[in-house]
Amino acid sequence: MTLLRARWLHLLLRLALGGYFLYASFDKIAAPPGFARIVYQWQVVGPLASNLVAVALPWVEAFAGLLLIAGIWKREAAAVMGAMLVVFVLAAGSVIARGIDVENCGCVSTAAAPTGERPFWEGVGWFLIARNLVLLGAAGVLIAVEPRPRRPAAAAVDDPSPGASGVSGVLPR
Amino acid sequence: MGRRLVRVAAIVAGGALCGLVWNAWSGRGFALGQSVFVQAGDEVIEAAEAKERLDRGALFLDARPRDFWAMGHIPGSAPLPEDEFDGAFAELEPRLRGTFNIVVYCSGYGCEASHIVARKLREKGIHAAILNEGWPAWTDAGYPVSTPKPEALAGS
Repeated sequence: MTLLRARWLHLLLRLALGGYFLYASFDKIAAPPGFARIVYQWQVVGPLASNLVAVALPWVEAFAGLLLIAGIWKREAAAVMGAMLVVFVLAAGSVIARGIDVENCGCVSTAAAPTGERPFWEGVGWFLIARNLVLLGAAGVLIAVEPRPRRPAAAAVDDPSPGASGVSGVLPR
Repeated sequence: MGRRLVRVAAIVAGGALCGLVWNAWSGRGFALGQSVFVQAGDEVIEAAEAKERLDRGALFLDARPRDFWAMGHIPGSAPLPEDEFDGAFAELEPRLRGTFNIVVYCSGYGCEASHIVARKLREKGIHAAILNEGWPAWTDAGYPVSTPKPEALAGS
């Protein structure tokens, strides 16, 4: 548990996870219809709900990524990512179970699928699920584990106990 | 806990709101009220309308890969797979030129093939309507399908 509370580990996880989500949002924000086409291919929620997902999801990813990198609302941003990752894993499982062929998962790019072979990491398959589970693990650490306070003396202030009122008593710095 | 939930909701709602605003005003967005595959000039019809057209003698075109057509299709439909359009079109062209009532379908709302085939036909001067949500919409409505005999499938 000491490792999981290490400040450097939390910084690393925040930058990696936040950076990944922020990066993953760029292409999708730039091309909403392109991303919608990919959401359709997953065939999870129907066409009109897919439109809303295609429009909203990239921005939620970007917001959560920015907050996590900036260190603002860290746990909440990680919780949003964790929830999204759980949905992604379940949806990918459903796609695989139904035998649907999604050539580009739309994870980071919205490029239309050309004919021919796609690299395995772009499709919806076991690699995608494994990668999302790794990311989910990182989000889980950020959600569940409070990083060690900068100084031992700050420990009392760092604990967000129910009695602590307002924001001032809770923030570690 | 309550405050954390409010923050989580704020991230989701803020992101969704930005997305909607961006979609509406960035010039890169699309119409949210219809399938993203629909373009100007597409005639999209529901399964009930398609059934009426079938009863009136419409020619149905199956834009899915040929294997899917072989496993089951709308009665009387001809395979015109999007991925082998040119060859299949050449075979079908005389029939298509003689018909004014054509409906294209593919494997569901996640499938763009029917839209692509309809557009390719339009380029050749042939109008075809698109069955909204394709094959599953047809079968969910309980409309008739042609399926090959089991022994025919066993050989393939």
